[in-house]
Amino acid sequence: MTKSFDFDVLVIGAGPGGYHAAIRAAQLGLKVACAEREAVGGVCLNVGCIPTKALLHAGEQIAAARHAADFGLTFGQQSLDIAKLNGWKDGIVKKLTGGVGALFKANKVTHLIGQASFVDDHTVKVGDQTYSAASIIIATGSEPAKLPGLEVDQSSIVDSTGALVMPDPVPARMLCVGGGVIGFEFAHVYNNMGAKVKIIEFLPNVIPGADADAVKEFAKIMTKQGIEIAVQTKANRAEKKADGIHVELENVKTGEKTVEVFDRVLVAVGRRPRTDGLNAQAAGVTVTERGFIPADTRQRSNVPHIYVVGDVASNPMLAHKAMKEGLVAAEVIAGKPAEQDAVAIPGVVYTSPELAWVGLTEAEAKEKGYEIKTGVFPLSASGRAMTLQATDGFVKMVVEKDTDLLLGVHIVGPHASDLLGEAGLALEMAATASDIALTMHAHPTLGESVLEAAEAVHKQAIHIMNR
Amino acid sequence: GRPLVPAAPSVRRMARELHVDIHDVHGTGIAGRISEEDVRRQAGTPSVP
Repeated sequence: MTKSFDFDVLVIGAGPGGYHAAIRAAQLGLKVACAEREAVGGVCLNVGCIPTKALLHAGEQIAAARHAADFGLTFGQQSLDIAKLNGWKDGIVKKLTGGVGALFKANKVTHLIGQASFVDDHTVKVGDQTYSAASIIIATGSEPAKLPGLEVDQSSIVDSTGALVMPDPVPARMLCVGGGVIGFEFAHVYNNMGAKVKIIEFLPNVIPGADADAVKEFAKIMTKQGIEIAVQTKANRAEKKADGIHVELENVKTGEKTVEVFDRVLVAVGRRPRTDGLNAQAAGVTVTERGFIPADTRQRSNVPHIYVVGDVASNPMLAHKAMKEGLVAAEVIAGKPAEQDAVAIPGVVYTSPELAWVGLTEAEAKEKGYEIKTGVFPLSASGRAMTLQATDGFVKMVVEKDTDLLLGVHIVGPHASDLLGEAGLALEMAATASDIALTMHAHPTLGESVLEAAEAVHKQAIHIMNR
Repeated sequence: GRPLVPAAPSVRRMARELHVDIHDVHGTGIAGRISEEDVRRQAGTPSVP
């Protein structure tokens, strides 16, 4: 006799990974519940991707209005209603999280509200109620990592959640601790809104993981826009005084210490997996020292009927990775031969211009033993980029030398994140640079730069001198 | 990381359905690309010619 459970699948967490898993499992005919202790949509919708992109768009419009003077368009005195800005951003979040709730209803996913904790490997307590399930998916996400000496108060010293609430007035001097994606996106927002922004990064390079040439170009453009970047620098401590936050900065190479004063400090030094309150050990699920719950390519934990997806499973902590993993977990539970076998996980910094990449960097390709060739097409040679006042940046392609197989695409430029879709598909389809070069791209578009970068691999680009 | 497998996502899914390790499949296409037919051949169930 088989045991009967309250649900076929119980998903813990309603972030991108969790809600994708819940909805796909329901589409496949399973009886599904999804438990969430905070707001549906998780970090991405509530305090991550979506509200950040809203602020980035607003900041970009401010900058765009300034640049419009180049073609003769001037506006009156620029003014920013910060309460309205915050309200507009919150409205988008509300609409999207409401949409997830509606999708749960439409797919008959039972939404359980409260902290979920394991009782045993088939039983989870949510709030005061206990539920059993044949399969359980852990999708508890991550939270901002803390930095000793810089206590986050969410008003003057903030993490990414606090930074989403634009203060009135906009701080005059802003420090972003951490030169990763989050640090740069907020630096860009605050810089466009009038703050004097400094970014410090402990490592020798910002945006670790991205292609070195692309990062160099990106950092050059950000500096040109007025953002000060200091690498190999750390923040030791912060002290609030009448004239601002006094932060002790240290050059980790020379040991030289200085004190600088800011009005707002963002701590964006990474994120750590979140398993607090989960009581994973009651289910026999392994949690690593760093707090991750490892999964195999079918998203199974060490306990075969307990699955793990998203930030809590592994790096990189990206919404689209969590979404894909959620679908894989649901499909595996439904008996389908699904597997997380993505050739490449795209990465994007949503500044203006954007930095976006998919596949191997030049360094990674060499490290893996590939003999490679590269092609670069600068946006300064793109007619479309000129008409958009956005000629900073390039498309770089990394290709295997003998087979011409595409290995990676790295873009610095406007709408790079959208151009990445083509590159991602090309990688998944095992396209060669020739396949891309032979594909007719509409003219004039930014997408042509991808075609021209592929031509540049073969030293046959038309709009630049090939060297 | 895993080596690059020159096969489309749908071909990789078919390999899983036919219990074939895609890494074992010899690709007969351009640049060693693996087709559905290559996977079927490896599985010992080629389609009717």
